[in-house]
Amino acid sequence: MLQPSPLLHERFILLAVERALPMTATVQNLVNQPYKYGFVTDIESDAIPKGLNEDVVRLISAKKQEPEWMLEFRLRAYRQWLKMTEPTWQHATYPAIDYQDIVYYSAPKVKEKKKSLEEVDPQLLETFEKLGIPLSEQKRLTNVAVDAIFDSVSVATTFKEKLAEQGVIFCSISEALREHPDLVRQYLGSVVPIADNYFAALNSAVFSDGSFVYIPKDTQCPMELSTYFRINNGESGQFERTLIVAEAGSSVSYLEGCTAPMYDTNQLHAAVVELVALDHAEIKYSTVQNWYAGDKDGKGGIYNFVTKRGLCQGVNSKISWTQVETGSAITWKYPSCVLVGDNSIGEFYSVALTNHHQQADTGTKMVHIGKNTRSTIISKGISAGHSKNSYRGLVKFGPKAIGARNYSQCDSMLIGDRAEANTFPYIQVQTNTGKVEHEASTSKIGEDQLFYLQQRGISLEDAVSMMISGFCKDVFNQLPMEFAVEADRLLSLKLEGSVG
Amino acid sequence: MSIQVSMVPDATETVNAPRVDRAAYLSRLVQLRGELDAAGSGLKDLRDRATALVQERAMPSTRAEEWRFTDLSPLLQESFQPVVPQPITAEAIIPFGLTDAPHRLVFVDGVYAPSLSTLGDLPPEVQLGNLSRVPGGIPHIGQHQGAEETFTALNTACMTDAAVIWVAQGQEWRTPIHLLVVTTTGAATLSHPRCVVIAEAGSQFTLIEEFVSLEGGGAAWVNRVTEIKLGAGATVNHTRVQRQGAHTFHIGKTAVSQARDSRYVATVLNWGAHLARHHLEIYQTGAQTATILNGLTLLQGEQLGDTHSLIAFTQPYGMANQVQKCIVGDRAHAVFNGKIWVPQAAQLTNASQLSRNLLLSPRARVDTKPQLEITADNVKCSHGATVSQLEEDEVFYLQSRGISAEMARQLLTFAFAAEVVDAIPLPTLRDRIRSELSLRLNPA
Repeated sequence: MLQPSPLLHERFILLAVERALPMTATVQNLVNQPYKYGFVTDIESDAIPKGLNEDVVRLISAKKQEPEWMLEFRLRAYRQWLKMTEPTWQHATYPAIDYQDIVYYSAPKVKEKKKSLEEVDPQLLETFEKLGIPLSEQKRLTNVAVDAIFDSVSVATTFKEKLAEQGVIFCSISEALREHPDLVRQYLGSVVPIADNYFAALNSAVFSDGSFVYIPKDTQCPMELSTYFRINNGESGQFERTLIVAEAGSSVSYLEGCTAPMYDTNQLHAAVVELVALDHAEIKYSTVQNWYAGDKDGKGGIYNFVTKRGLCQGVNSKISWTQVETGSAITWKYPSCVLVGDNSIGEFYSVALTNHHQQADTGTKMVHIGKNTRSTIISKGISAGHSKNSYRGLVKFGPKAIGARNYSQCDSMLIGDRAEANTFPYIQVQTNTGKVEHEASTSKIGEDQLFYLQQRGISLEDAVSMMISGFCKDVFNQLPMEFAVEADRLLSLKLEGSVG
Repeated sequence: MSIQVSMVPDATETVNAPRVDRAAYLSRLVQLRGELDAAGSGLKDLRDRATALVQERAMPSTRAEEWRFTDLSPLLQESFQPVVPQPITAEAIIPFGLTDAPHRLVFVDGVYAPSLSTLGDLPPEVQLGNLSRVPGGIPHIGQHQGAEETFTALNTACMTDAAVIWVAQGQEWRTPIHLLVVTTTGAATLSHPRCVVIAEAGSQFTLIEEFVSLEGGGAAWVNRVTEIKLGAGATVNHTRVQRQGAHTFHIGKTAVSQARDSRYVATVLNWGAHLARHHLEIYQTGAQTATILNGLTLLQGEQLGDTHSLIAFTQPYGMANQVQKCIVGDRAHAVFNGKIWVPQAAQLTNASQLSRNLLLSPRARVDTKPQLEITADNVKCSHGATVSQLEEDEVFYLQSRGISAEMARQLLTFAFAAEVVDAIPLPTLRDRIRSELSLRLNPA
C-alpha cells in the first residue's frame, strides 16, 4: 500500500512502479481512505495547564531556558496582543476562539538530554516512521535534512554535522536561542514585528519552537532543509516560529510539511515564518500543508492562521514561496515578499484545495519598495464540496519602486455547485514607471475533456485527477521533485468521491 | 531593520483634519431636508423610514472596507446647507444642448425646471418629467436592492422630487432622451437629485444622463441616486457623463434591476468633481440578461475618482462584459472596485471584467480591485487588471514616423480612451467628448 509521504526518493520509485499498473485499482484502494495521519501517539507529554497570562509566558520562557531579552520580547508581544482585537475581515466563518481554553505548551517528556537520535524515545521515532519521516536511518537514501517538531518542541534534527561543515546552522529555534543568541536577536521580529497582527503578536508571546536556518556568506546549502510539524496533544495549540537568514550570495531551499491527529475540537495553529535574504541571496520555501481538515461535516480540524513573510533586503535577492494547501479546517495565510533591495524578486506559487466544509482565504502580498523589483504570482484554487476558497492578494508599488513589474494569474476551478471560489486582488500603484498585470478566471472542470478521457478508457476519477494535476502543473513544477509527486498524489486523494 | 506591513494594507486617513463626529455630522445633514410639496406627498413614509435609517449611521471612514481608498474628510470640513435653487437662464445651458436628443429634461440643483426642458411631441407611452407627471406615485422608487446604503438612504430621506422617465410596454422609442442635471455651484450647498427610469417589458430607448456645473466657485455636494428598472426583454442604452466643476463633491448611485431577457448598456464617463464616487449596481432578477458596462475615468490635478461596481447575478444564463479604464495624471487618485457575484442559482453565467489603468505622472495613484465571488460551478468568469504607463516602444514607433514625442503620447492616450468614448451612442455628444478629451490632453 502506498504511503503518501514527503521527501523520500524511495517513495518516488515506489510510486513510479505503481503508476505503471492500471491506476483504477490504486485509486479505488485509496477511495474512502480517510485522513491517514489521524492517529494519536500515546506518549507521555509535559504539558502546562490551559490558559494564557503573563505567568504562562514566563513559564514557557523558563522551560526553554531562554535569555532575559527573549522573555522581554515575549512579554512585550503579550501586552501588545492584549491591546489588539481579533480581525474579522477574512472570508471565513467560525465560532469565536477561546484563548483561555488552549494549552500553550506541550512537549514529549524527556528524561535526560539526548545526545543522538538513538536516544530519542522509540515511540516517537515510530510516529515519524508512520508519517513517512524515518529520522534514524535514511541518511544514505536521502539528501534531505529534517527537523521534526512534535507538538511544541523540536525532537530531532538530522544531518547537523554535515551541514556544520559548510557553516550552515540548521537547528530548532530554542537551540539557536541558546547557542546563537546574537543571530536570533538580530533578526527575530525584524520581518514580522510583534505588533504586526493579532496572531503574530500571540505567536511572539507564546511560540514554543520552530526551525532556525542560517546560511553563511557565499554558501550554497548542500542539501534541501526540511521541517516536519506534528500536533499530537488534543488541546494544545501549535505556535511555531521559523527564521531563515540567507547571508549575501548564499542560497537555500527549505521544505515544510505538517499533519495532525483527528480530534472533534478545533485546534489553533498560529505560526510565524520570517525570511531574510541579503544581497544576491536566494531562499526557496516550499510547504505541503496537510493539517487535519475536519470530517466531512466540518467537525474538528485545525485553524491555520499563519503569518509568513520574506524580506528581500539586499540587492538582487530572491524569495520564492511555493505552497500546496490541502489541509486545515480554515486556512488563512498570505506568504508575502517585501522587496526592498533593488532588482529583488518575489515569487508565489500556490495550489489551494478545499473540500467538504474547509475554508481557505489565502494569497500573497508583494510589496515593491526598491527599484526594478519584480514579482510573479501564480495561484490555483480548487474548491469542491461545500468549501470556500478565496484568493486574496495585494500588489503594491511604492512611489520609489521605479520600473517595478508584477504578473499575477489566479485561476479557480469549481467542482460541484455548492463550492465557492472568490478572488480579491488588491492592486495599489503609486508610480507611473511600473507595470502590473493581473488575470483571473473561474470555471468548472471541463466536461468535454472529461468525456474525452473517459472514452479513452480512463475512469472518471482518474480523469479528474489528471486534469487537476494539469491545472496545477505550473505550481508543481516549482516544487522539489519528491514533493511534487507527493503533492499530486495528495490532491487526488483529497478529491476522492467529490466528482460524479 | 524593521519593515512594518500590516495585515490589511494601510488606510489613508487625512492626518491633520480635526476629528469630526461622523454620526452627528450625518444626522445633521438629514435634518436639513426640505419639505415635500403636493407632488411628492406619496414619498412621506419612504422618506421617514430612510431618515430613521440614516439617523443610526455615521459618515463612512476609511476604516470601512468599502471606503478604504476614498477619504471623505474633505467633505467633513464643509458645513453644507440645503441648496436654494438659483434661477438660470436658457442661455446658460445652451453649451450643453444636444441636437440629436430633442427630448430634454433639465433639473437645476435637484429641482425640475420645466421652462428649460423641451419635451417635444411625446405619445402617452413615453412619460417624461417629474413626479407630478405620475399622480398615482411611483411604486418602484426606493425599492431597489442596496437602497439601504448610507448615501442612498440619505438621498431617499431628503429628496423632494424626482426625474421620471417611463416608457410603456413594447414601446421602441428611437429618439434619445437627454437628462441634464445642473449644479449652480453655490458655496457649500447640498442637493439630492433623484431619478427613476422605468423601461417596461419589451421597450427600448436611449438615455443620456449628464451632470454639469455652471461657472462659479464653492464646494457643492451632489448626492445623486438613479434607479433604472428594466422589464422583460427591455433594452436601455444609458450614457452617464459626470463633468462637474473642480470643487464639486459628487456621490452617485446608479441602481439597475434587470428582468429576464433584458439588455442594459452603460457608458460611464467620470471626469469632473474634486471627489467623485459612483456606485454602479446591477441586479439581475430574471434569466438570460445581458449587461455591458464601459467606464472611463479621467483625472488630473488632485482629483479623486472612485467607481464601485457590482454585477449581481441570481438567475442562469446571464452575460456581463465590463471594461473600466482610468487615465490618471498629476497627483490624482483613481479607485476601482468591481465585484461580480455569481451565487449557486446563476449557472451558465458568462462574465468578464477588465480594469485598465494608465498612469501619466509619478505622483498619480491607482487602487484597483476586481473581485469575483462565485458559488456556481458551471460558469465562465474572468477578470483582468493592468496598471502601466504608455509603452515606450509605441511612442518610439510614432516618433520614427516623424511625430513628436509629445504628440505621440497624446495620440496614444487618446486611443486608450477612445474605446470607451466611441461607445457613446449619440454623435453630437461623442464628438463633443472627443474634442474635450483632446483639449484636456493638450491644454496648449
